[in-house]
Amino acid sequence: METAPIDRLPPPFDEVLRRHEREIMRFLVRTTRDREDALDLFQETWLRAYRAYAKLDGPEGIRPWLFRIATNLCLNRARDRARHSRVIFDSELADHADYASSNNTHDELLQLKTTVARLPRKQREAVVMRKFAGLDYDEIAAALGCSSAAARADVYQAMKKIRLAE
Amino acid sequence: MRNGLLCDEPLSDAVEPSAAALDDLLKMAHRRLDPALRRIRREGVAIGVANTPLGPLLIAQSDRGLMTVRFLDSGDSSPFIAELREQFELHQDDAMAAVIGHEIEQLLDGDARAITEHPVDLRLVESDFQRRALKRLRRVPAGAVISYQGLAAAAGSPAAQRAIGNTVASNPIAIYVPCHRVIKSDGAIGNYGGGVERKIALLRAEGFRPDSARRIPADAVYGHLVTRIFCRPTCAAAKRARRDRMLIYPGVQGATSAGMRPCKLCHPGQAA
Repeated sequence: METAPIDRLPPPFDEVLRRHEREIMRFLVRTTRDREDALDLFQETWLRAYRAYAKLDGPEGIRPWLFRIATNLCLNRARDRARHSRVIFDSELADHADYASSNNTHDELLQLKTTVARLPRKQREAVVMRKFAGLDYDEIAAALGCSSAAARADVYQAMKKIRLAE
Repeated sequence: MRNGLLCDEPLSDAVEPSAAALDDLLKMAHRRLDPALRRIRREGVAIGVANTPLGPLLIAQSDRGLMTVRFLDSGDSSPFIAELREQFELHQDDAMAAVIGHEIEQLLDGDARAITEHPVDLRLVESDFQRRALKRLRRVPAGAVISYQGLAAAAGSPAAQRAIGNTVASNPIAIYVPCHRVIKSDGAIGNYGGGVERKIALLRAEGFRPDSARRIPADAVYGHLVTRIFCRPTCAAAKRARRDRMLIYPGVQGATSAGMRPCKLCHPGQAA
């Protein structure tokens, strides 16, 4: 006899929100290093998650799925910022020749963000999930739909490229 | 930071907000998120499986009433549930399903009151015509049946027997919208979405005893809802009467207990 597929329903959205909001916020603060950005992306992460929630099949893998949404939003924002700040940076550079030297860490961070933004999509997502969200390889694998060995390899390759770019 | 990035561990020296700061941030975030989420929120619908003597049933119920009663073995329910999830936020509610299961057991024990009084929500029905027909069907009481032809007339379209057939076949709320009480005009009990055996079981519980050829019994009578008079199927008066006002009762007793009196022309119940 046919069994009801309601056993495969994901938990109520409110429950998911309650269960994961803290770690998502922590991740966003870590990644963006900016309160306002974290607040914005928190809102966007959960609104996106809600819109896509009806399509989610099964109660498994919700945590990595949420981190994947948050990761992509962070990466999008970092990419936009990198683009934007490059323009500002260049024009500021003309006025203040010493700006770059006084802003070493800013420069470094920008360099890092640009490098990460240039990584292939899967490596980019994997390295952010590993380094900033602190997901384990099984969770990254679930979010990316690959094996955990492949996730580990993606992080490794991404790290190699970041190291080269330093 | 560089060290953190280059080892195979999550960053440990990244900006780590304190628990209190995180609480504050979350509080602030919810002031913005909650109204935004409310605007796009889908309506909540409870879903569950009721185990009944008729087999397991998939049940869905909104705040307005019962939306779905569906035999689980009559086909794959996953596409249906996926579609429902697009429109509604589903949450599993076993207590709700247990109540429905209990009401169906009462019906099978001969008490149709809970089923009749339980509100239904016909939003999953496709068209206004279908909704009208199913609302009309809901008024056919336990212990009586109606023909497809009669239901078509009652829904305001006497020629639409085929459309009525489709409507009844796609009835989303089995048992509560009593599509088992619709039979063919020639007296055969016809088909049922959950299988003919279940239709017979339901009709039997309601006092109808279909014969071995799966037809309504020979002593069935036609009752007129307005005049409250019941006739033999062959009575000239019954043939002239409007179909949409006729219900079929299992016998003299069924009609009398529904508050009707026998026709003085055809004398139903007396030897012919």
